[in-house]
Amino acid sequence: MTTQRRGIHLDQSELLCKKGCGFYGNTGWQGLCSKCWREENQKEKQKQIQEDWALAERLQREEEEAYSRHQKAQTQPTITPFSKFEERKTKEKSSKVNTVTKFFTPSTKTPPKKDTPFDAHSSPSPSSSTSRHSSVGSDYATREFIDFLKPLKSGREIFKQCRAFTESMVYKRDMGADELSECVQDFYQNLSDRLHTQFKGSSDHVESVMDEVEKYMMTRLYKDVFCPETTDDERKDLAIQKRIRALHWVTIEMLCVPVDEEIAEVSDSVVKAITDVIEMDSKCVPKEKLACITRCSKHIFNAIKISKKEAASADDFLPTLIYIVLKANPPRLQSNIQYITRFSNPSRLMTGEDGYYFTNMCCAVAFIEKLDGQSLNLSSEEFDLYMSGQASPHWPQSSGASSCSPGSATLSQVHKRLDVLTGLGERQERVMEKARQLESDLIDWTDEVEQKVQSVLESIPAETQNPTATTASGTTSAASSAIDSDNVENEHLPPPLLPQVFAG
Amino acid sequence: MAAGGTGGKTYSFKVVLLGEGCVGKTSLVLRYCENKFNDKHITTLQASFLTKKLNITGKRVNLAIWDTAGQERFHALGPIYYRDSNGAVLVYDVTDEDSFQKVKNWVKELRKMLGNDICLCIVGNKIDLDKDRHVSVEEAESYAESVGAKHYHTSAKLNKGIEELFLDLCKRMMETAQAEERLKGNGASQSASSRRGVQIVDDEPQATPAGGCCSSG
Repeated sequence: MTTQRRGIHLDQSELLCKKGCGFYGNTGWQGLCSKCWREENQKEKQKQIQEDWALAERLQREEEEAYSRHQKAQTQPTITPFSKFEERKTKEKSSKVNTVTKFFTPSTKTPPKKDTPFDAHSSPSPSSSTSRHSSVGSDYATREFIDFLKPLKSGREIFKQCRAFTESMVYKRDMGADELSECVQDFYQNLSDRLHTQFKGSSDHVESVMDEVEKYMMTRLYKDVFCPETTDDERKDLAIQKRIRALHWVTIEMLCVPVDEEIAEVSDSVVKAITDVIEMDSKCVPKEKLACITRCSKHIFNAIKISKKEAASADDFLPTLIYIVLKANPPRLQSNIQYITRFSNPSRLMTGEDGYYFTNMCCAVAFIEKLDGQSLNLSSEEFDLYMSGQASPHWPQSSGASSCSPGSATLSQVHKRLDVLTGLGERQERVMEKARQLESDLIDWTDEVEQKVQSVLESIPAETQNPTATTASGTTSAASSAIDSDNVENEHLPPPLLPQVFAG
Repeated sequence: MAAGGTGGKTYSFKVVLLGEGCVGKTSLVLRYCENKFNDKHITTLQASFLTKKLNITGKRVNLAIWDTAGQERFHALGPIYYRDSNGAVLVYDVTDEDSFQKVKNWVKELRKMLGNDICLCIVGNKIDLDKDRHVSVEEAESYAESVGAKHYHTSAKLNKGIEELFLDLCKRMMETAQAEERLKGNGASQSASSRRGVQIVDDEPQATPAGGCCSSG
C-alpha cells in the first residue's frame, strides 16, 4: 500500500513531460510527451541521415581514388577491347561521385572548380555533359508525355504509374538484363490490359498510348538499360564488328544480290539504306530504332524494284539486306538488337511491318555470324584465303571490282568524266592551234594583199607619169643579170684595140 | 502464342510462307493480297510483307503474311522467321519433286520446334502446268493428312484455290486461338489476382507503386 502510495506521489511530478510543456510524458519516449518526442526525434534522425550521407560520400571518394589508382596500375599497359568498357565504368563512377559532391559542395564554388578533382582521369567533362544532355532529353520527353496525356481521362494516373515504375527501375539496374526486360514487359502488359478495359477495346487508341508510354520510359531509362554491364552485349558488338570488317571482300555476285549499282538511282538508294541503318544507333526509343530499320528496308526495296522491274520478294530482300549490313557495319549492332528485343512493345515485334523488317535484320546478323564458303558459293580454301587477306576476289578482274562496291560505281563514273574532260581539253588545244594558224594566215594574207596593192600602186603612177616606166622592169631585168650590171663601167673603157697592119 | 487475339474482338495472326525458291510463294501472296499476277504496272514496292484485313463470321481478323527467303543457304534462319507465328503455308511446285521434299523437311522442323500450336497448310502450286506434274495428288494429300496438315492445290496464274486456302487457314487459326483463350480464361482468375502491379482505376485514386512486376503468375 505504502509503496503504491509513494509511487503515486512521485508520479505527480514524474508523469509530466520533461520539457515542461504541461502535458504528460511517457517513459517509453524518455519521459517526453508525444509532441516533444516527435520534434526531438526528428532532429536526431535528420542528424543521423546527414552523418550517413557524409560517410557515404567519404567512402565513395576513397573507393574512387583506390579504383583509379588500381586502374592506372593495371589497365594502362594492356590495351584490350575491354579497356573501353572499363573506361566507361570509371566514367560512370566519376559522374556518380560528381553528382553526390554536387549536393554537398557549397554553392560558392564555381562550376569549373567542381570538375577539377576529376580532371586527373577519364575526362569528366564529356561524361557530365552527356548526362546533362540526356537529362535535358528526358525532361523534354516528360513534358511531351504530359502534354499527350493531358486530354485523357486517366492521364494523370498513367503518368504517375509510369514515373513510379521508371524510378523504381533505376534501383534495379544491378539485375540481369533479362529480368529487367521481364519487368518492363510485364508493366507494358498490365498497362495495356487496363487500357483495353478502359477504352472498351479500341486497340488503336491503346496502341497510341502505349507508344507514348514506351517513348517516355525508354528515353528516361536508356542510359541504364542499353547495353548493360551485366550482359556481354558489348563483347558481341565488337565481335560482329570485327567479323564484318573481315568480310569486306564479299561482293554482290557472291550474295546474288539483285541490285544493279550502275544505275544512279539504285546506288543512291543503297547509300540511303546504309545511312539509315547506321542512324539506328543514335535513337533512344525502340520504336524509333525500328523505324530506322524500316526506312532502310524501304530503300532496299526501291533499289530492287528499279533493278529488277518487279516487286521485291523475300528471296531478293534478305540477300540485299545482308549486303547493306556488310557495307554499313552499323555501330553497336548486337546491343541495339538486344535492346529492341528486350524493351520494345511486344505486339509490334510479333505481327507488325516493323517486326518483319526487324526479324530480317536478325536473320542478316545470324547469317553473317555463321557465314562460310558454302553460303557464298565458294570453296572453303578460297574462303579461307579471302578471310586471311592473302587473296582478294578484286585482284583478278578489276572490272568486277568496279561494280561491287557502292563507291566504285561513282568512281568509275568519275573516271569516265575525266576521260571526257581530257578529250575536250585536247580538242580545245587543237582548236586554239588552228585559230592561231588562221590568225597568222590572215596576217600573211593582209601583208600579201598590201604588198600587191603597193606594187600595183607603184606600177600605175610609173606608167602614167614617168616615161622611164621600164626602169622598174629594167632594174628587175638588170637585177636578174646582176653580173652584167657590175660591168657598167665597161662602157667608159676605151674601145678594144683593133689590129693594125704595119708592113704591107 | 500471345499474338492470338485480344478480347475476342480483333484477331491478329502471323503466317509465314515457307518453301524453296521459284515455287511461286511471292506470286501466291501477291495474287491473294493485291489480285495481281506478273503485272507489269507494279504499284507495290515489295511482296515480302503483306497484310490483309478479313471479316470472318463477324470477327475481324488482321492477317500478316511473312514471306521468307527460300534459298537453301538461308534455311538455317527459319526459326527466326517462324517464331511466334500462328500459321505456316508450305508451298511446293507440283512439277518439281525436290520442292515437295523440302516441304517435308519444313513440316518435320516446324512440328519439332512449335508442336501443334501452329496451323500447317501444304500447298501444291502451279496446277496450270498439270501436264508436267511430278508430285502425285494422292501422295501429297496422304502425306498432309499424316502430319495433321491441310492440303490445297492452287494456281497463282489462274487465281485458283488461293482464297479458299487463306480463308480456311484463318478459320483454323481462330479455332486454335479460341481454344487457347478458353484455357487462359480458366487460369486468368488466379493470375489476375496474383498480378496486382498496375491498376488504372478512375474513381478511386490510388498511387499503386509498381512493385508487383516480379509476381508474374
